[in-house]
Amino acid sequence: MGIWALRGITVAVALIVLLVIGSVVYSAYEDYSAVKAELAGGSQQAVGAAVLRGTTETVSINITVPNKGLYPLNVTISCDYPTSNVMCQRTSVDVAPGGEGVLRFRMTVFDISQFENSVSKVINGTVSISMTPFVGLTVGTDFGGFVKTGGG
Amino acid sequence: MYGQAVTTRKRITSAIWALVVNTVFWIVIPYYVGVFLTGRVPDSALTVPTFVYEFGILFIILEVGAAFFQGKAVAVPMISAVALLTVVYIWYATNGGILGVETSGITLALSFRLMLYVLVLPSIWAAIRAPLSYMVWRRAMKAGVSSATPASPVP
Repeated sequence: MGIWALRGITVAVALIVLLVIGSVVYSAYEDYSAVKAELAGGSQQAVGAAVLRGTTETVSINITVPNKGLYPLNVTISCDYPTSNVMCQRTSVDVAPGGEGVLRFRMTVFDISQFENSVSKVINGTVSISMTPFVGLTVGTDFGGFVKTGGG
Repeated sequence: MYGQAVTTRKRITSAIWALVVNTVFWIVIPYYVGVFLTGRVPDSALTVPTFVYEFGILFIILEVGAAFFQGKAVAVPMISAVALLTVVYIWYATNGGILGVETSGITLALSFRLMLYVLVLPSIWAAIRAPLSYMVWRRAMKAGVSSATPASPVP
């Protein structure tokens, strides 16, 4: 192995690192811009609705997830509630580069009055966004704010 | 790099330069960043962790040693050690590629383990390249001496 081979490997390693970091940053920026535009642009696909039937309230959120980046995108929404009063469907969508997918999330509060009168109205929810295979972002937040008295 | 005549004056100058640059980078800048963060957000836990200074001292020792012994075999393990220490430092600073923060009831967790492997790749290669470069140079020197001796009669 000569000195030129060592230099060649050094250049190759530097190129790999630059390509990976550059493509990940570019993809993250493109995906962020596309999702932001989708949510802010008044798209009919990105809507949420709370419907009350009797004592049961159903929160539905449909989000169109575009993928303008170079890597496959996975978006997952799930929630966890310590009582049996709230049920969430864990939903996930895989979006190939250049494509778009629709994420349909549904959360049901079986007894809205019980929920309203409970001490804690927190519904721990998780939104996971992964740019497969390099980066994953998990946001844990309260989904209780989606539940509205009287629906609507 | 190897085999070049380096004067003691140049070694000392390089070592002092390495000492100044690394002290500024690893001690002075983190200290003032800590002062800035504490001043701006007094009630927060935003401080520069102690391990930054600990790693900084190790980096300074190894970089000064590598600069002083440049071109010699003893510099090779120091260069490799700096590269390996960089890997450990990056791994430690990024918590193995899983960073989390919790504020106002929202938790954020960023996972980038595979990205981290890519980020430490140059340092790992630098740790391997240092002894390889030295071995290549040594082999070239031996081959040069053994082939040149019979064909180069002293005039």
